[in-house]
Amino acid sequence: MRRTDALPKARGALTYGADLAAPQMLWAAYATSVHPHARLRSLPVEEARAMPGVRAVLTAGDIPRVLPKRRWDPSRPLLVETECRFQGEPVAVVAAQSLVEARAAARFLQSKAEWEVLPAFTDLEKEFPEWPDVETMKRHERVNAHVLARRGDFERAVAEADLVHEETFRTPMVAQVPMEPHACLARVQGDDWHVQTTTQTPFGMREDIADKLHLPEAKVRVEGTWVGGGFGGKNEALLETHALLLSRLTDRPVRLSLSFREEFLFTRTTQPAIFRMATCVRDGKPFARRTRLLLDTGASLPGRDFALGYSLGFTLGPYRWDTWELEGYALRTHRAPFGPHRAPLAPQCTFASDGHMDSLARRLKVDPFQLRLEQVWRTGDRTPFGQEVPPFAAAAALEQARALEKEWRRGLAPGHGIGVGLGFWSTGTSMGGEAVLTLGPKGLTILQGEREIGSGSVVEGLRVIAAQATGLPEDAVEVVYGDTSTAPFDSGVFGSRTVIALGRAVEKGCEALLKELARRSDHSPGEAGEATPRPRTSRGKLRLDLQGGEVFVRSPRGTGPLLGYLTEEERNGGGLRAHGKEYGRSHELDSSGAVEGDLYAYSDLIAAVHLAEVRVDPDTGSVRVVRYAAFHDAGKVLDREGYRGQVEGGLVMGLGTALSEEGLITSEGRLQNAGLLDYRVPTIRDAPSDLRIIAIEGFPGSGPQGSKGVGEPPIIPVPATVANAVADATGSRVLELPLTPERVARALALISPGAPTGPAGPVTPAVRGRPK
Amino acid sequence: MPFELHFPTTFEEAWALLEKGPPGSTLPIAGGTDLLLAMEFRRFSPRHVVSLSRLPLQAYEVGPEEVRIGSLVPLRTLELDPRLCARLPALVEAIAEVGSVQLRHRATLGGNVVRASSSSDLLPPLIALRSLLTLRSREGRRTLPLEEFVQGSWKTGLRPGELVEDVRVPLPRPGTYRWQRVRPANDISQVGLAVVRHPAQAGGLRWNLVAGGTTPTVQRLIRAEATLVSEEPSQEDVALAAQRAAEEARFATDLRAAEEYRRHLLQVLVRRGVEDVLRSPLAKEVRG
Repeated sequence: MRRTDALPKARGALTYGADLAAPQMLWAAYATSVHPHARLRSLPVEEARAMPGVRAVLTAGDIPRVLPKRRWDPSRPLLVETECRFQGEPVAVVAAQSLVEARAAARFLQSKAEWEVLPAFTDLEKEFPEWPDVETMKRHERVNAHVLARRGDFERAVAEADLVHEETFRTPMVAQVPMEPHACLARVQGDDWHVQTTTQTPFGMREDIADKLHLPEAKVRVEGTWVGGGFGGKNEALLETHALLLSRLTDRPVRLSLSFREEFLFTRTTQPAIFRMATCVRDGKPFARRTRLLLDTGASLPGRDFALGYSLGFTLGPYRWDTWELEGYALRTHRAPFGPHRAPLAPQCTFASDGHMDSLARRLKVDPFQLRLEQVWRTGDRTPFGQEVPPFAAAAALEQARALEKEWRRGLAPGHGIGVGLGFWSTGTSMGGEAVLTLGPKGLTILQGEREIGSGSVVEGLRVIAAQATGLPEDAVEVVYGDTSTAPFDSGVFGSRTVIALGRAVEKGCEALLKELARRSDHSPGEAGEATPRPRTSRGKLRLDLQGGEVFVRSPRGTGPLLGYLTEEERNGGGLRAHGKEYGRSHELDSSGAVEGDLYAYSDLIAAVHLAEVRVDPDTGSVRVVRYAAFHDAGKVLDREGYRGQVEGGLVMGLGTALSEEGLITSEGRLQNAGLLDYRVPTIRDAPSDLRIIAIEGFPGSGPQGSKGVGEPPIIPVPATVANAVADATGSRVLELPLTPERVARALALISPGAPTGPAGPVTPAVRGRPK
Repeated sequence: MPFELHFPTTFEEAWALLEKGPPGSTLPIAGGTDLLLAMEFRRFSPRHVVSLSRLPLQAYEVGPEEVRIGSLVPLRTLELDPRLCARLPALVEAIAEVGSVQLRHRATLGGNVVRASSSSDLLPPLIALRSLLTLRSREGRRTLPLEEFVQGSWKTGLRPGELVEDVRVPLPRPGTYRWQRVRPANDISQVGLAVVRHPAQAGGLRWNLVAGGTTPTVQRLIRAEATLVSEEPSQEDVALAAQRAAEEARFATDLRAAEEYRRHLLQVLVRRGVEDVLRSPLAKEVRG
């Protein structure tokens, strides 16, 4: 077993958030709103405070007196003060001697709270059955953000087109569902606001806590634990602020964790979206596209929406367009705030964008591979936002997928279909990271501020990078996890950036170490640090090695123990030190197309082409994925097993988005399936047994050795690929996720198309359009 | 809420414990796969929980005409028994679809029967197989057909102080269990259907069809059964039975499926189920 965390994790030896404990610790629990939108009339706080074991009850009104500056950021409410904004929003937090007592008091508060129920806005479809006009939206109080960008005149393109292909795609609320729920342990002692927590971004969390509580960052100390999956859901400070406030109030360590029900209700996630797509075709060639997007951003506050502007670009696909128009509204609803989620909204955008491309190919009766290949970006093209396309493997991946598709199509069983899906992603390489490397006589240590969230990018990735950069075996490289007071700054584990950014920082640190050793080797070995210049002959050839547990330096001048290269100070101080930094580059963007709102530049571009063979039961609508192949633009694979693991995991997660996962709300806007019973993530038995992962190298990215990020891209094309395969098998297209048997049955006209009261909701009939 | 857990080793001890306190304050627990969830969701808040694990409820005898299954026998034991696989396909197929392997190591037949869930995957085959329950209390034993025992979710004919001792199922019986779910593995069936063919000498109808996912509890499809009068009904009869089943089933719309979809599914499952049973080797072997 190669992964160093595997065995201790299997044995239960590593500390996760839910394992945290301290002497004298109090247990905390939330009382939350049970309505999506309501005014709080009364809360029996004093009665709850008198309940057995209860040490404190924190409400919004208590916060100012707990905080040193007696105030907090009112634009980011920590607890409901008068009006709740979504079901599950915390109203009060109880700290008690035991979890049972804390929960009993929280439940008491929740059941005795009196609310005046207010109308809830939770259904975009109902509010905007048609695309709303600009004037309506200017007056609409729930518009959080508006983005409009274009090149050329789309209306003219419509007039010039032979065919305008139009479809509306709908996607539901989906959640990250990490196996480990959120959990933290807070301890405030004097000026030290210390919290241990399961987080993807310790430094981001420190900033968030400092902002929300008006504390100087230096007084906040965030210490990460081992993380049982994050998928974007463990970035922001959610519980941590409450646990810190309770610790301050009680002078005791306070532990707070979420139940799975609370995970679904209270954490930030992907909310519903409606994509209205239109593509103009002339002489058989698609040349203009327009996307109109209504995005439910939940109770996100104005100015805090990141998703709309970033997502819209993905609906154009990685394609060249003469004319394009993007318009979107982020709407503030009474659902939980929108939050990051493994390639936020990209699987949904791609379901719309690529599904639309696929249905166009079928409508034009052309090969879906050919249609994509003729339009797809190649290295050196310009993106719609004017950026030069860096090395990009989309066309190569499509060609390889096409060859496999031919093979699969021979002897394809009846009722089966094959679909291709093309997605792309841009990694978050412009965020920074640093690492401190110490090369001692026994090996190399990397001090850094990220936490391993399960992918292996930290625990394995950084070691592989350092080993490959220096020549040391991986066993001689150790990763050290610092907290925000001991580790150098790092942005955290998100945006598929760990290997690309922090990995590059480690690689640079290694390069600096080797350069320094080479410099010393060019001087006389054994007299390290002393200035006796010699001709430079050994540049770039120097490598490290481990012999009998000792680090050796191998240079053209010969091999010798590292000790001989170190100064006395370094020998006493653990070794030679180097500081690696990577802050990425900001990319150029042609923003002349932006009329309102912001567009975002892409950094590395990563293509992913997926191929699925599905079997559709013609009588029930059941979809089973029987074979799956993923062609990924890898740049350079640094670790085969780790790479394969990430792609497999991402695509199985995507199968959940494609086939079974959706948050279902009642007509009052309450989430009906907050829990693992009726929110269906795929299990291992739902994964296809024939799963091929093909890494396409040779289109380098900006990571170590030309590698590209792999955390997010694998999930992106999955829903589109599965929907395209179902369309191939049945001739009917399902325009709404997920493709549950019932929804497919409606598309196949086995039952009526719309079920206004049913859980599946209405399904738009197959392909609509208006031939000219 | 905290509760006290008891481990009686004799029925006397168990009854003494179960009679304590007001109704609902003491509950028996078998595998616990449903009860613990119900306690988590606060449907029940017992102060005392009585484990049945040390009582002699683990009997398991496979005879030539009947299998007797102690109420505490884990589902996994039944699933892995080749004698049952060959002779009670309807039951074993259903058991293999209950939850996960881990869950089936804990879950018991007795627990599933007392839970009496309308979406149970086990009640349809057990009822279609005409299973008999042995119920035991201080007053002694009584035998009750499972069909009469099940009344609704958590509602059964169990009297205070009574425990399910065993379930007796006749064999061999050609049959099958069919289901439809949003997620094939580890999910709750939108519709389940057991189809069992009985020999003429057993008396009564030749075919029993029982659906799950119905409201308020699992339902025998009597009109469909009455349509399948012969050992080998014609395709037309099967189609008619499927149609009648879809008409007579009491379905509702909930978050798992729309009523309309459930009716459609049942029709498909009846047709497929009966046809598959007719084609099965066991149906060819067991005739008359």
